[in-house]
Amino acid sequence: MWPSVFTERVVKHGWRVALAALVLLVNAQSSAATQDVPQGIELDLSPRVCTLSASAENCDTTVTAQWRAAQDESLCLLIVGQPQVRQCWENHSAGVYTVRLVFNRDLLVELRDLQLQQVLASETIAVIREALRLRRKRRQPWDILP
Amino acid sequence: MRYILRSSIAALAALLACSQSSGAEAPCTSASPECAVVGRWEISASFGLGTRTNPIEGKSDLPLVVIPRISYYGKRFFLENLDLGFTLHEGVANTFNLIATPGYDRAFFFSSDLQNIFVPGGASFGAGTVTVPAADRVFEVSPRHTTYLAGPEWTFSYGPVTGQLDALREITGQHDGYEVRAALAAPLLEGARGSLVASAGLTWKSEEVVRYYYGVKQLYEPGSAVNPFVRLRYTRPLSDRWTLNAFAHYERLANAIARSPVVTDDHVSTVFAGVAFRVH
Repeated sequence: MWPSVFTERVVKHGWRVALAALVLLVNAQSSAATQDVPQGIELDLSPRVCTLSASAENCDTTVTAQWRAAQDESLCLLIVGQPQVRQCWENHSAGVYTVRLVFNRDLLVELRDLQLQQVLASETIAVIREALRLRRKRRQPWDILP
Repeated sequence: MRYILRSSIAALAALLACSQSSGAEAPCTSASPECAVVGRWEISASFGLGTRTNPIEGKSDLPLVVIPRISYYGKRFFLENLDLGFTLHEGVANTFNLIATPGYDRAFFFSSDLQNIFVPGGASFGAGTVTVPAADRVFEVSPRHTTYLAGPEWTFSYGPVTGQLDALREITGQHDGYEVRAALAAPLLEGARGSLVASAGLTWKSEEVVRYYYGVKQLYEPGSAVNPFVRLRYTRPLSDRWTLNAFAHYERLANAIARSPVVTDDHVSTVFAGVAFRVH
């Protein structure tokens, strides 16, 4: 009788136990990962937004990236889609990088470890396009020009 | 003139009735050869080789090497090279504009004509004299000034066919003549290998226009003229800014023009092949 009741309870509540174990496992992994990533690295970009007028195709501006950390860090600054940009620091707690860029879509700036494997911090410069108003060009079957 | 206008209005009404039902074109969603960004200038230039024959006595053909193109579309105002316009109504299939456009005949006579910026070359044949061997006399030829014509324009699409009809009157006080310009165009090929578009149309010129450019006082005073034309144009985008461009145009000159003592040919042919570069 006893073994039978025990088995029934285990089957009935087994999924709850499994779910609790999964939650514990995920939390444990998350805290382990957090311990690997340096905490407290702040990245500030200027400008934060580039607004394109109807007549402009690209943002052509000087971008300044500034970072600070609670302790000395070794890291590199990268910009997604701009492979020519890479600035690295070893054992610094702050850094500033300025570069003139031409871009026409959101610019993602990242701080990564020296192996470029792990993203330590990231910020985005958003490109906002002025709403383009379009109209159909004049139809010109009668046209003497090529 | 009345007959032409009546015929034009009747043709317009018939085409309008047809085009209302099935002339829908896709709305503009991005800048393209068919769609313009309001408020943005478009500047391009075609580089290549070509020629436009000159039917005027003793004048050489017009070489085509560099052909600039400039356009601007505002909310209603637009500029296409030397044409200015104001859009009264813009529908999916039908558009009604008021336009001002130059008289193109002068380009054959003057190399300094503004139109020859866009169709370079040209010849000098302004005021002067013309010798008619048969009559053994010398006749004075009046000067020809730059003229502009203005009037309503209807453009439409009907399936793949596009049409244009302009009813114009000269507004610069030189001859007070009229012109009707009408044409249809349809794509013969469209796809990855480019676009081949055929056009056909005509230009009706009132006797005032024909006499101003091709008449000789006391010798030749022609009536109105209808010049039909056909054209083939091939374009193939090579990149965002470069486009392959070829063009052949044949215009038959009406007898009223071809028989003028200052005209030696009964047609104008234009051919050009090159690449167009979009500057902006």
